Amino acid sequence: MDKQELKTLVAQLLREMDTDAPTVQTATQELPDLTKLDLRQEYHVAEPADKDAFLRLKKKTPARLGLGRCGARYKTASMLRFRADHAAAQDSVFSLVPKDFYEKNDLPFVQTMCKDKDQYLTRPDLGRRFDEQAQAVIRQVCGQSPRVLLVIGDGLSSNAITANALDCAAAIRQGLKSFGIELGKSLFIQYARVGAMDHIGEITDAELICMLVGERPGLVTSESMSAYITYRPRPGIAESKRTVVSNIHRQGTPAVEAGAHIAELLKTMLEKKASGIDLR
Amino acid sequence: MKESLLSVGIDLGTTTTQMIVSRLYLENTASPFAVPRMEICDREILYQSEPYFTPLRSADTLDAPAIEQILRSEYEKAGISPSDVKTGAVIITGETARKENARQVLTALSDLAGSFVVATAGPALESVLAARGAGADCYAEEHGVHVLHFDIGGGTSNLALYGPEGELLDTGCLNVGGRLLKFDKNGTITYVSPVLQGCRVGEKATPESLAPLLETLVQALEEAAGLRPVTALLAHFITDKTVELPDAPLVFSFSGGVADLIGKEAVDWLRYGDLGVLLGAAIGRSRLCKDGYVLGQQTLRATVVGAGSYSTELSGSTVSCTGAEFPLQGLAAIRLRESEERADPEILSRAIQKKLELYGDAPVVLSMKGQHSPGYSEILRLAEGISMGLTTRPVVIALEQDMAKALGQALRCHMGKETPIVCLDGLHIPEGSFLDIAAPVMGGTAVPVVVKTLAFS
Repeated sequence: MDKQELKTLVAQLLREMDTDAPTVQTATQELPDLTKLDLRQEYHVAEPADKDAFLRLKKKTPARLGLGRCGARYKTASMLRFRADHAAAQDSVFSLVPKDFYEKNDLPFVQTMCKDKDQYLTRPDLGRRFDEQAQAVIRQVCGQSPRVLLVIGDGLSSNAITANALDCAAAIRQGLKSFGIELGKSLFIQYARVGAMDHIGEITDAELICMLVGERPGLVTSESMSAYITYRPRPGIAESKRTVVSNIHRQGTPAVEAGAHIAELLKTMLEKKASGIDLR
Repeated sequence: MKESLLSVGIDLGTTTTQMIVSRLYLENTASPFAVPRMEICDREILYQSEPYFTPLRSADTLDAPAIEQILRSEYEKAGISPSDVKTGAVIITGETARKENARQVLTALSDLAGSFVVATAGPALESVLAARGAGADCYAEEHGVHVLHFDIGGGTSNLALYGPEGELLDTGCLNVGGRLLKFDKNGTITYVSPVLQGCRVGEKATPESLAPLLETLVQALEEAAGLRPVTALLAHFITDKTVELPDAPLVFSFSGGVADLIGKEAVDWLRYGDLGVLLGAAIGRSRLCKDGYVLGQQTLRATVVGAGSYSTELSGSTVSCTGAEFPLQGLAAIRLRESEERADPEILSRAIQKKLELYGDAPVVLSMKGQHSPGYSEILRLAEGISMGLTTRPVVIALEQDMAKALGQALRCHMGKETPIVCLDGLHIPEGSFLDIAAPVMGGTAVPVVVKTLAFS
């Protein structure tokens, strides 16, 4: 085969490959969103003995059961979904609550002593303290010796806060109003640890503080929020003195109903002058 | 935190009158770090009365003093007094519900039995209580099958269909029972139910002469079970309606006095002085039992156990009750359509007012579905519409979705602190049914209720 023949052959091959090759268009088409699939309604075991019975069991748990396998391993779809959910959890930890959220909803902004997310994650102690400037804002917004303070902190999930905090806070405010308890302005705290409420307690001499805070996201939802409530919070107070209402999200306790429950808890705590295990 | 309620069930059936005493155990099943979730976690039967023949003064009237006497003596034997009883139901079933003084006797008994023992009647409720008393719902759930339950008593057969998750799909009632005919010791007919034709009091009957009648009764049951094509026969025996059958295999289960007699061919046919023995034997030979069947955990007592242990439900655990005096009894349900629930406050309030006109001054409960995880603006919109439209006091609202506490607090802000407001969730109250509400339990977190129908024909 001479050089010319070889050239012709290669050119022909390339032409053929070109027509067979996937076009660039397919690559730009949008792929289906893996995370939109409701896992509780999916069952992938081949030749099941009783698929319907397994699906009924699956309704009772978010655990990843009945995924099927290939040899000793789970299937590609299961692996991709797991990584997608994990990525959503990480995104929720590493992203910030958008400015619009607190600016449009009249929530004065303060930041703990953390400079950025990395420092927030590695230095929990700084997430519980405020610098002089932030302290001045807190004093100005919350006033001195309020009965109840409601603050919102991003914590470990910004998604949880954007999804639930406003509805929950509105229900708390209304509930307290129905009991004749006035609630002042709320704050938004960036890079907040639960213990940040203790410093606020010290700065303002508040009797009772409730903090809505994003929970560390899991693989089931990245939108779960908690309320931590402490009677007379001060730096160094025992964690057992806090009352927590967790699992506030669409699949858990709905935000407004949790808010109504929290409002009643706050009323009870003011009456009994206690929170956490002291309340029992 | 664990609490219990003493509950009684009283069943005035066509053939027998029975009573049971049971204890319902309530528990918070949520984690200590979450919003509480109260549930009835266990039911224990403490006392069962003997089955008494239901005392009659004549063919059409109940012997009220004799029935009251039974109740008094059974309370004494059980060692309880009406003031101990926190909940329960008196149910009047089968042909007994058609007696002239049924309603008066029922009301008198429920007063006698305890302050929150509710009076109920109606074939749909009877079917559900009997099936749950027999455990048909649990069987369906455990085995993942459709169960068609027959509670075959003296006057009626109550049908209840449960799906593979233990969910109620439909109920029905047929006039097929063991006491449609009564006989004396020699087999002479002494009573003929109005639903039967072709038999006369005074005629002498034998198993052979009764065979065609039994054949038609069993055929009606088979038709209702989908084992035969439906004919005019089924329509003739239907009390209110029959069940709509699913396109799936059915497991048949039985309770009621006649259930004990299924397959018992050797029993003297005149032992109970009625059709029961022969009917039980005929069912045992029928297509209903050809491929095996399930006998309820309770048979003769299924309905009374249902009334005692399963008539009380617990509301959702985040509810709002302010200023109302309990118990609240006989609240008629007015139900909003979903389109009305979602409408502007103006339209919502007009829809409520229009429904209220039908009930005059009678106490009502506003029943609706509600929304899953609603926004706060939804709560405000509902509160505004309800506070404009619902003029009855106390304000009583029952929702299916978990949102009652938030709505209750919003209503309190709208209507003022003096307005008594009871706002419950986790409850489905259909239009036309009635709701009784007991005092809150578990530190005010949840409320025991009984949803009932009161249908006297």
